[in-house]
Amino acid sequence: MDNGMEGMLDTYLFETNSLLDQLDEMLVKDEKIGDFSSDDVNEIFRIMHTIKGSSAMMEFGPLASIAHHIEDLFFYIRDKGIDSLDPEHKKELFNLMFRSEDSLRSQVEKVENGEALDTDMDSFASEINQFLKKISGAASDEPEAAAPDAGGAQGAAPDSLTAAGNLPADDTAVCYLHIFLDEGIGMENLRAFMIINSMKECEVDFNYYPPDMDTNPETCASIIEEGFYLAFADGEMAAKAEDLLKSQGHIRSYELIMVPEPEPAPEAPRASESAPAHAAAAPAPERKEAPQKAAPAGAPVKQNLISVNLTKLNDLMDIVGEIVITESMVTSCPELDQLNRDSYDNFMKSARQLRKLTDDLQDLAMSLRMVPISGVFQKMNRIVRDMKQKLGKDVRLTLIGEDTEVDKTIVDSIQDPIMHMVRNSMDHGIEDTADERIAAGKNPQGEIVLSATHTSNEVIISIADDGKGMNPDKLLAKAKEKGILVKPENEYTKKEALGLIMLPGFSTNQEVTEFSGRGVGMDVVKKNVESVGGVVSLTSEEGQGTTFSIKIPLTLSIMDGMKVTVGRSIFTIPIANIRQSFKITADEIIYDENGNEMVERIGGFYPIVRLHQFYSIETEVLQPEDGILIWVETSDHSFCLFVDDLIGEQQVVVKPFPAFLNCFELKNYGIGGCTILGDGNISIILDIPSLHTATLEGF
Amino acid sequence: MAEQTTLNEELLELPETDEATTVERCLTFKSGDLILYISTRHVIEIINNYSITNLPLVPPYIKGIINLRGQVLPVVDIQMRMGKSEAECGNETCIIVLDIDSVSLGIIVDSVRQVIDIDLKNVRPIPLKRQQKLLDGMVTMEDGSVFMSVDCQALAKAQY
Repeated sequence: MDNGMEGMLDTYLFETNSLLDQLDEMLVKDEKIGDFSSDDVNEIFRIMHTIKGSSAMMEFGPLASIAHHIEDLFFYIRDKGIDSLDPEHKKELFNLMFRSEDSLRSQVEKVENGEALDTDMDSFASEINQFLKKISGAASDEPEAAAPDAGGAQGAAPDSLTAAGNLPADDTAVCYLHIFLDEGIGMENLRAFMIINSMKECEVDFNYYPPDMDTNPETCASIIEEGFYLAFADGEMAAKAEDLLKSQGHIRSYELIMVPEPEPAPEAPRASESAPAHAAAAPAPERKEAPQKAAPAGAPVKQNLISVNLTKLNDLMDIVGEIVITESMVTSCPELDQLNRDSYDNFMKSARQLRKLTDDLQDLAMSLRMVPISGVFQKMNRIVRDMKQKLGKDVRLTLIGEDTEVDKTIVDSIQDPIMHMVRNSMDHGIEDTADERIAAGKNPQGEIVLSATHTSNEVIISIADDGKGMNPDKLLAKAKEKGILVKPENEYTKKEALGLIMLPGFSTNQEVTEFSGRGVGMDVVKKNVESVGGVVSLTSEEGQGTTFSIKIPLTLSIMDGMKVTVGRSIFTIPIANIRQSFKITADEIIYDENGNEMVERIGGFYPIVRLHQFYSIETEVLQPEDGILIWVETSDHSFCLFVDDLIGEQQVVVKPFPAFLNCFELKNYGIGGCTILGDGNISIILDIPSLHTATLEGF
Repeated sequence: MAEQTTLNEELLELPETDEATTVERCLTFKSGDLILYISTRHVIEIINNYSITNLPLVPPYIKGIINLRGQVLPVVDIQMRMGKSEAECGNETCIIVLDIDSVSLGIIVDSVRQVIDIDLKNVRPIPLKRQQKLLDGMVTMEDGSVFMSVDCQALAKAQY
């Protein structure tokens, strides 16, 4: 695939996925009310229409075909008004729509992974069609003008004509064009009308039958079966029209029929131009075709949003980082001292102005990468809805703080963890039956609260259920059975016992269900969250419910760091990992049998890691009194780093190491990346979890 | 900040070399006792006046990383890479920034000489093949001096 195609594919996937998200949101919302609003019907119609068009353009036939059938369905619904459906049908419609959405999604996923699409969509398509028939049948107590020849049979047809069957009566007509459309294109009446319109635009004058095809959807059937007729007052017009017809899409065949003459047109051109159903061309004409109330694509709300390639944003961030650094280089240039006082003041004035602007620029550039978390949250609605049906539990999902903004990369990586936790809460957290809940004195309807809040540099996402909670003893027993306990059972605190569920291979559900309980649950969640620098914790009261919280940094590319020196090197330690820094004396150090150093702090003993030793850096600071200890912690471990000195705190832009150095796997030795300091020098950023692994584990 | 001599602009003005000819424009430079050359295709720029940040836990021939206008670039001492002693820092010492199949790195050299045309037909393999860590050919110039070719692929692959 060449680049242009790939770019298109990107755009296609982006667009289709966001349309499906929109659809999902709408369906979940509407299902709660149990009804579609007419706006939503229009919107679904529009979404399906767009998906159909773009899928056809990209030649993803199955996708186009599903979308097409749903479009037809919604065309009907839109036309009849949603109120014509009885509640039973509506319910069925919701299920059908959710399933359609899923099947569209699964196809899109295949496109994403470069797999072949399912070619056989007929069964699903016919299901949609059946539903359409069902609801149209239900509505057929209305005056049914859908007799096959509703329009075609008006008036007596001159019986001398054979091929055309019943010609409509038209006194002035000298000849007719009898046109058949492609099979199965849907909305035949409107397509026919469209063709007619476009011909009229070309100043061809004629009458057409059935005359009410644009307003009466019942004519659809007759057009499919009998074709439709154009009646011309003179042969010249007919010839002109015939030419025009050739340029129209969706025409299977047409036939020119002369009226008064007993002998019909010699060999009416039995249309060769069965216009190839260029589905790519479809979107454009169809838009014209349904102008009445379908909001045309591109509702005004959307117009102030543009989608930008993420790499461009990253580049922008890089350059902004550059500017900030260069600015501080310029303003701290030593030659400035040689300026005389006035010029120096002037210079500094401008420099301050510049700094303010660059700060603004930096904030702005950073905010570009921030997206609201609502996209992820909305998806949970759907999951809760599906599980509610499958598990037969009545649960309400409450979302709080959906508009909290988080870095795009983080949003992408926390979706799966959140989904998993919501599933867990649904499956294991909430009681199995309403009776159980009533017996426990709770509202029969369970509740899961999904919330997101900001602190200055962190986002806290919590998933709380009011279900049965967890029993630490049961967890311990289970863990023991699985053989994953690392110390005697009775030494586990409650917190530690709860933490067991995040170990690999732990799953408390006896049997595997469709949704959770594969034993790859919480440990995967934990790993995913930690990969973006986050921490998972949980609290649970038996009988009260369980709350999971995820704490993640707002953004990955920028963080608060503490600069420390070791010899001539400057290291940056993420502030999030630092608990305390303090000085000690040599006699406070405790040694174990191997001579490893430890220190006591607030009732606990913590190992000391001398950075200069681990990284073999020459330094004069060897005595504990001369240097400083930094107490760092990760979600699991806590230890102290011995460094020469603290320099200060700074916000730093994290840069990865050049690819050239990949083979040294510095990441496994506590080196997470680097950053460029204000003076242009480079500082190495320490990755505390891997530093712990490298220095203190495996001894 | 480092002063930079950008070679790119110069290179752009060069006449397009004919595909059929085997002449390649090469940058020659001095490293220790050797005169080496490398195709200008790989050369991005030459910088002097830099400050290198040392990296722990890497082999000594990797001197560290530098900040080249926001890009973090590893710097290799090619003398040490060839198994010799550390390059001495002199007046003309500079870093040649290379891009070898999108791996960017800088190499420390004693001095940069000039850009010359080298006919690849005249390049001979080095007889002591197995002992070469970083060089893959030699060529005798008209004045009798011998230039050695740097094996870019080997250079771009970091190893212990």
